[in-house]
Amino acid sequence: MLLAAFTSSGAREVSPDATLLSGLLQKDVSAFEQLYDRHSRLVYGLVLRILQQASTSEEVVQDVFLQLWRNAAQYDASRGPFVPWLCTMARNRALDHLRLKSERQRRREDIPDELPSVVIAPEYEKALDEKRRAERVRALMASLSPQQKKAIELAYFEGLSHSEIAATLKEPLGTVKSWIRNGLLRLKEGLQATT
Amino acid sequence: MKNCDQFRELIEAYALGALDTEERAALEAHLATGCRDCAKAVEEARWLVSQLAYTAPEAAPSDMLKGRLMQTVRAEAQAQAKPQVMPAKSFVPFWLWAGVAALLVFSIYSAWNMRRLHDEIRQANDRAAVLLQERQKSEQQLAQAKREAMILMDPSSVKIAMAGQNAQGPQLEAICHPQLGIVVMGEKIPMPSAHHVFQLWFIPKKPGAKPMPSMMTWPDADGKFVLLVSNPPESMDDTKALAITEEPDGGSPGPTTTPRWVGGVS
Repeated sequence: MLLAAFTSSGAREVSPDATLLSGLLQKDVSAFEQLYDRHSRLVYGLVLRILQQASTSEEVVQDVFLQLWRNAAQYDASRGPFVPWLCTMARNRALDHLRLKSERQRRREDIPDELPSVVIAPEYEKALDEKRRAERVRALMASLSPQQKKAIELAYFEGLSHSEIAATLKEPLGTVKSWIRNGLLRLKEGLQATT
Repeated sequence: MKNCDQFRELIEAYALGALDTEERAALEAHLATGCRDCAKAVEEARWLVSQLAYTAPEAAPSDMLKGRLMQTVRAEAQAQAKPQVMPAKSFVPFWLWAGVAALLVFSIYSAWNMRRLHDEIRQANDRAAVLLQERQKSEQQLAQAKREAMILMDPSSVKIAMAGQNAQGPQLEAICHPQLGIVVMGEKIPMPSAHHVFQLWFIPKKPGAKPMPSMMTWPDADGKFVLLVSNPPESMDDTKALAITEEPDGGSPGPTTTPRWVGGVS
């Protein structure tokens, strides 16, 4: 079941992450090390972008990978592909730290679950490998209007809500909602267009 | 589907975590109704949002982080592996069981020994209390004997013969000293009746005055009778005679029997 989760439908070979996660279930230290080497730069970069502080970011990354090591058996294949799952977990942890640090009075319910919710990779995910898809995402984001990009980044990297972003940017709430929705739809269409 | 339309435009923002409380609650309530289309759209939107991680510049964490992680992971892997290799029965080594048994025996012995020592200490305390009482009694007897000797040997003491009811019976003798007191002595004195004592009385010269009660005692097993009065009346001049009667245990405020011995004070 676990292996199937990381095997794209239609792909003939098992993904490297699926093989390594299988080893992780057997408490294979080497498999863990390889997973860390494969994804630590992405995870650390994401957490550092959110927290802006190297030492705290390393603490969060350590927590994320230790949770992966200790709770690999709890990973539910139905939660979707591994890298989005890992990134979602890292983002949630980093935003938790950010909220504690700033003592922002947002309710806990506004934060996504600590264990990432179900993620389904769309059909167009298979069109590009991870490296090329990352480049494509960066290019698409760069093509958004500065306001769209800024609004999405405030939500994703700082965990702000629509109304908080509107207050931060001093723009009407409806405008902010449109920027975020249209920006994400453009990102989606851009990725679909690669098929 | 018409109902779903109002929620579809919230789905991307929901996956991003940007919805405010009311909109988020409304969408979640809708998802809770089991709308498969919207649920699938949310799951795909989450994937889309997760792709934003690639917009963060990649950065390499320090080697120390990897070192710490690997150290922790290796230690936990070894800790988990050990119980599988070692049979459950030998998980606690024999020497440890032996140590526990020795500790148990030592604890029992210590408890028993402590109780024994406690008993011995209590018995020693009892003996010490008895000895102390005996010593105090001896000291009192010694002080009394010294006082008696001083009264007997002092030249200023006056002897008073106390004749018995029966002229053939044993006699008593009282030696009076104006400051040290009075000693009444006798030999072969019979024991008083059961639950009775011999009590000394001072008989006043004043006609009609009541006899003054004084000390009580018994003769010892050999019939030796010694009675010391440390605090006789201030002036024996007012005393006509000394008398000894047999009174119930504890003595009496006034004589209840005829005097067994009487001696006049000159």
